[in-house]
Amino acid sequence: MLEPLFGVLALFPSADALLKAIPQVKERGFTRLEAYTPYPVHGIDEALDLPKSKLGILVFILASLGAICAFLFEWWTSTVSYPLLTAGKAYNGWQAWVPVMLEGTILVGTFTAALGMLFVFNRLPFFGNPMLRSKAVDEITRDKFALVIRPGDGGLDTSAAIAALRAAGGQAIEVVPAPHYRRAGLAWWAKVTAGIGAACLVAGYGTAWAIRTFPTTKPMVEMENQPRLDAQAPDTFFASGRGMQLPPVGTVPRAFMPVLATNPDQGGKALVDPLPVTARVLERGRQQFDIHCAVCHDKLGTGKPWLDSTYEAQPTDLQSSTIRDASDGYLYWVISKGFASMPAYAADISPNDRWAIIRYVRALERSQDAPARDVK
Amino acid sequence: MSVASRVRSALPPRFAEPAGGRPRVAQPHVRPPLWTVHRTLWALVALGGAGIVAAWFLAGAQRFWVNWLMWLVFMVCLALGALFLVALQHMTGARWSVPLRRTAERIAALTPWLVPVAAIALFSLPVVFSWTQPDAASITPLVLKEHWLNRPFFIIRLAVCLGLWVLSYVVLVRGSVRQDVTKDPSLTVRLRRFSPVFMILLALTITDFAFDWVSALEASWYSDIFGVYLFAGAVTTAIAATLLAVMHLQRRGRLPGVTGDHVYNLGGLLFGFTIFWAYIAFSQYLLQWYADLPAEVFWYVQRTSGPMGLVFVLLGVGHFFVPFLALMSRADKKSPTRLKWVAIWVIFMEFVDVFWLISPIQGGGIRLGWPEVSFAAFFVAAGLLVIRRALSLGEDMPTGDPFLAAGLDFHLR
Repeated sequence: MLEPLFGVLALFPSADALLKAIPQVKERGFTRLEAYTPYPVHGIDEALDLPKSKLGILVFILASLGAICAFLFEWWTSTVSYPLLTAGKAYNGWQAWVPVMLEGTILVGTFTAALGMLFVFNRLPFFGNPMLRSKAVDEITRDKFALVIRPGDGGLDTSAAIAALRAAGGQAIEVVPAPHYRRAGLAWWAKVTAGIGAACLVAGYGTAWAIRTFPTTKPMVEMENQPRLDAQAPDTFFASGRGMQLPPVGTVPRAFMPVLATNPDQGGKALVDPLPVTARVLERGRQQFDIHCAVCHDKLGTGKPWLDSTYEAQPTDLQSSTIRDASDGYLYWVISKGFASMPAYAADISPNDRWAIIRYVRALERSQDAPARDVK
Repeated sequence: MSVASRVRSALPPRFAEPAGGRPRVAQPHVRPPLWTVHRTLWALVALGGAGIVAAWFLAGAQRFWVNWLMWLVFMVCLALGALFLVALQHMTGARWSVPLRRTAERIAALTPWLVPVAAIALFSLPVVFSWTQPDAASITPLVLKEHWLNRPFFIIRLAVCLGLWVLSYVVLVRGSVRQDVTKDPSLTVRLRRFSPVFMILLALTITDFAFDWVSALEASWYSDIFGVYLFAGAVTTAIAATLLAVMHLQRRGRLPGVTGDHVYNLGGLLFGFTIFWAYIAFSQYLLQWYADLPAEVFWYVQRTSGPMGLVFVLLGVGHFFVPFLALMSRADKKSPTRLKWVAIWVIFMEFVDVFWLISPIQGGGIRLGWPEVSFAAFFVAAGLLVIRRALSLGEDMPTGDPFLAAGLDFHLR
């Protein structure tokens, strides 16, 4: 029985000889032709009537997507998710995003070109290409150019094909049989998965072992050892002998205006809650209260601490009439400056958050002593 | 049958001519289709010249000199870009471009004309340059630059630049033309040795020219990359002009053997240098935007706000995105119509670039009116006359170059 046929192959010594042979073979009625060359040959697409590759369009679309994604990513991180003013620029400083967009374009474009060529258009992985079993494959990958006549719908007249190739100047003509081809089965995929898994394990454990065995070896120290002033560390650069400098006298951090009044009753009168009445403010107040206040004043503000009795201080009952009758400004002063054994929170809680906490304390008070109309 | 095509069909085919070149004298008479174009160009020169004179009296000295400087810079870009292309071909030993080299050499014929245009431009020194103004002595950055920005040294530098450019033009182009007759291959070797020297000279002189004649208009401003910026635009323009001239000659059958593959390669170069220009232009902008130093950034503020901001956007879109997208695919670079329009567009955009660089020193909006149109008519028509005359001289290809046959045999496969 005849083996199934892949095609009839002939070798040509140069790209020009190959390009000259193609029309001659076509004239004899063979239309399904394939060429195998050691390097890309200009003009072979036209000679073989190959359609224009769609790879370029694919790369263009995906590279544009790369640019758009980089833009959206930069915009989202620096303007929406965590608005950050850098070097006095506006939030939408698109100029700074262009290099990232360029890199995104190139990254996605090159990966699409390489992977798209290999996996989308050349349909790899494909094992057992019949050409690999031909005698000519060594020379094709070295310095010879092969033309293969593939069987059409009605099969292939082998002797006519050989004659056509010989007439066109082909050498080392051979008939390439099609191998029995099986798609990769479950066992193959299992082997591949196991192989990748094993490689990961070796790499992971190998790295862990290397780090444990050579703990002081650092692959890159340039960033760690750069000449710089470290925070909290002594340094000889400044006369003060510290790396970190104190802020100039009389300056305050942005949005941290200190409370200047020394007396809570007088100082409290001058302070007015600047926040709007919204659910968001109350929610923020609840969050900050639970973080900073609830540990001593209790979640409802009853002044029964979660701490055990060895903690001797008696936190104020925020539900008491003293606090209910005190003004918001008084509470703000106390939070900012501290009172009795309660420490000052000016450095830890921003002014707006302090007001939000007071708003929430008022809500707590009302929740524990609601008038009848509230629960109608 | 139109007049033009009838005349064209009556033309003798160039490739039928005997080797050894055509006689020089009879040229304008043998090629009648140039006749009407020729006359139109002269009419434009006359009209533009009248407009220029009127601009001197009516539009004010500042506007006159700003226009003059814009065209000086544009001419320098085109002439030096063409010389760069010629030297680049010698230096790399490229063979595919040998048949096209003469066209670039003919465009470089603008170089000697730079001397009178630049000499006249020296009279603009007291008018438009910020460092010559009476208050310059009180501005710190200008005082610090006094050792560089003073009139004697400025004029010496210009003379040195012009001298080196004309010398390079003579060596590169006259040498190549002489080879048509002598067929001496050693000339190729000599030009190959000279080209790297020219490259170094070009890098230094074009940087100096860009600093002296463009940045120094606002002498407080500085940008180290500015010479490269002008260079990138110059090469882009020169490639576009060469492309246009080559296709023009090709249509008339004057470049037998030059195929779409040669033109395709020029299109590829144009595409590449478009990207190079954008890279340099954006690098300069990004650095100054990031640093945001008052001494630098005012220059960009002038050029990106108000009506000039529209020109800035036009420059980004027109000088980069349009040619970039229009020349991206392989089919685009194979279409002569596409290449022709992109080349014209790129040359126009380079002028927009020069306009954007220089015009804002007058302040206040976009100055675009009859003086600008007159200057454009005069310089475009005069420049075309110079190039056309150069193209009508001697051989259309370097027939004495030993690599001409190899260059004509160039195919993309």
